[in-house]
Amino acid sequence: MNPQEREELLKPYLPSAPRLREASTKRKQHSNGTASGLGVRNVLKKQFYALSFALIHAIFSVYIRIRIACHAVYLRIVSVLYYHHHTPEYIQRDVQGLSRKPKHLSVILSLEEGGKRLDAKEKLISEVADIAAWCASAGIQMLSVYEKTGILKDEMQQSHREISSKLRNWFGKYQAPDLHLHSPNMPVVHPSYYSAPAHKGAGEYGIAIMLVSEEDGRESMVDLTKVLTVMAQKNKLSPADITSDVIDNELTSSVMAEPDLLISFAPYVDLQGYPPWQIRLTEIYCEQDNQSVEYQVFVNALRKYAQATFKLGK
Amino acid sequence: MSIKADANVQRWIATLPPIAWALRQARETLIGTLRQGPIPQHVAFEMDGNRRFAKNNHIETIEGHNMGFEALAKVLEVCYKCGVKVVTVYAFSIENFNRPKSEVSGLMKMAKLKLEQLCQHGELLDRYGAGIRVLGERALIPDDVLPFVDRAIEMTKHNTDAVLNICFPYTSRAEMTAAIKATVDEFSMPSEPPATPFSQARITETIRSKQPKRTDSSTSLREASPDPAAKSDVDDSVSSTTTLNPGSPRTEAKGKEKAIPFKDAESITVDSINSHMYTADCPPLDIFIRTSNVMRLSDFMLWQCHEDTHIFFLKCFWPEMDLWHFIPVLLEWQWRQKKEREGTSGRRLKTE
Repeated sequence: MNPQEREELLKPYLPSAPRLREASTKRKQHSNGTASGLGVRNVLKKQFYALSFALIHAIFSVYIRIRIACHAVYLRIVSVLYYHHHTPEYIQRDVQGLSRKPKHLSVILSLEEGGKRLDAKEKLISEVADIAAWCASAGIQMLSVYEKTGILKDEMQQSHREISSKLRNWFGKYQAPDLHLHSPNMPVVHPSYYSAPAHKGAGEYGIAIMLVSEEDGRESMVDLTKVLTVMAQKNKLSPADITSDVIDNELTSSVMAEPDLLISFAPYVDLQGYPPWQIRLTEIYCEQDNQSVEYQVFVNALRKYAQATFKLGK
Repeated sequence: MSIKADANVQRWIATLPPIAWALRQARETLIGTLRQGPIPQHVAFEMDGNRRFAKNNHIETIEGHNMGFEALAKVLEVCYKCGVKVVTVYAFSIENFNRPKSEVSGLMKMAKLKLEQLCQHGELLDRYGAGIRVLGERALIPDDVLPFVDRAIEMTKHNTDAVLNICFPYTSRAEMTAAIKATVDEFSMPSEPPATPFSQARITETIRSKQPKRTDSSTSLREASPDPAAKSDVDDSVSSTTTLNPGSPRTEAKGKEKAIPFKDAESITVDSINSHMYTADCPPLDIFIRTSNVMRLSDFMLWQCHEDTHIFFLKCFWPEMDLWHFIPVLLEWQWRQKKEREGTSGRRLKTE
């Protein structure tokens, strides 16, 4: 193709030349003064646009409501058909055929109604416990839970008790996985009977939950920058030494590693301030129009993850 | 072959005067209509699927890339006409250098060609009123491509209505690293002491002359045994102790040398890092679109996809992207904006 041909190709998509545009606006201004013909036309045009905007949005609104309803019905039916009956074996069966599973799963949860209701936190903890049970059954040993406000990080001992008791409901008192509750910059909460790290190891049923909030996102990078700045001011490091490996290493060990799969239980993908560094190649799954934490979304996400082909830079 | 023939037939039909006219009118009407609602200020596209599209349709890879370029032209037209201020596209990742050498050189050749084309069509670009910026590691751009990059930027410099950010070669982690590095640089450069009529030396002198002998000896005694911990952390201890003590001139000189006024590291905020991002002067990212049904950010706009960014993963391949794929996204975004506004105002009403 020579330049002329390409110009021909693009011509239909181009706006009029700026000179022409200016000329036409000038003409319009003139005509506004002399004859109101074009002015009236402009007003009419505007009215027409406003009308069609209202119309299009009305139609779209109907469409989206139908879509939401369809998705809700579909999810209901599927979740009735494939209910897990609080039995780990059912979940194991569901994930058996998958070619690969994430080692580190991350979920985004949010407080209902901005946390105004009193039982909002309890609901959140019970959601975390459910997801933890699903993960433990599916053989995923690392779960990170992102909740924007960080309310889960308060009273981690109590959260640990509640999640553990729920896990015992699922697995039975003696088969329940060891739960380790982590949070950046906080001591790990182990089970009370947990003595040495090598006691059971991260055995078949051990599960680690990492609680992450907004302050572990951009804020933690700011904190890291502060530390690096102080070091540079003391001549302990030259800014040229700062590489992405250094930052990656720091953020991985002090906040968390990059998750393999991120599930958003919101109606659409909204990261809500999720740690930016860690989300580089994470597979993101979001069930369109879904409103709540459903087992079916979890399974669909795992299925989608197993299908996804992975290639970096290719 | 068939896709090419199809495209030709479609193009032929679309160029029939009445149909072309009707299509243009329909497009103009739609865009004019959508302009009535809220318009995103910053949209990012991850143009994925050129090669898969080519493979699926049994056409050459380069043809797929060409169709991708055409799709970009279409999408840019729609965006700018709708009133989007900044469009950011991911053209080439630093990771792409890991591809086979022949492919990288092929891609670079294409980049050169495209930029050359852009330069040839300089006046056409002006119609968009869009200034081109190239974001990324400049040092990694091959020498033979660099002049074209500079020329394209130079040619569109005067366009300030809108911005086209081309990320080339870019990864978000490299961007964040560069931003952190720049912030550290900024804060570890000795800052100019603020202009003031008061002289620190004079104050010190006055204090020293007024000090009784007793304190004098005690301070010098304290200084006589300097502890090693304090020595390594002098920058924190500032000039107060060192310059106020009337010790030997040697320590005084040392103190002055060490007390370089740094900007306080604690004053670093998200904004100071943000100001060193490539997109510092762009409005926050409203919409992120990735095509070809891949649900990953893949090292693109990680920092910018922070919150209030609506991420859309589309099923179509990038060459198929056009107005009709973009409009549902825009409509849904407008719808969510409306919902959000209603939600917040509703909540405010409830609390009041």
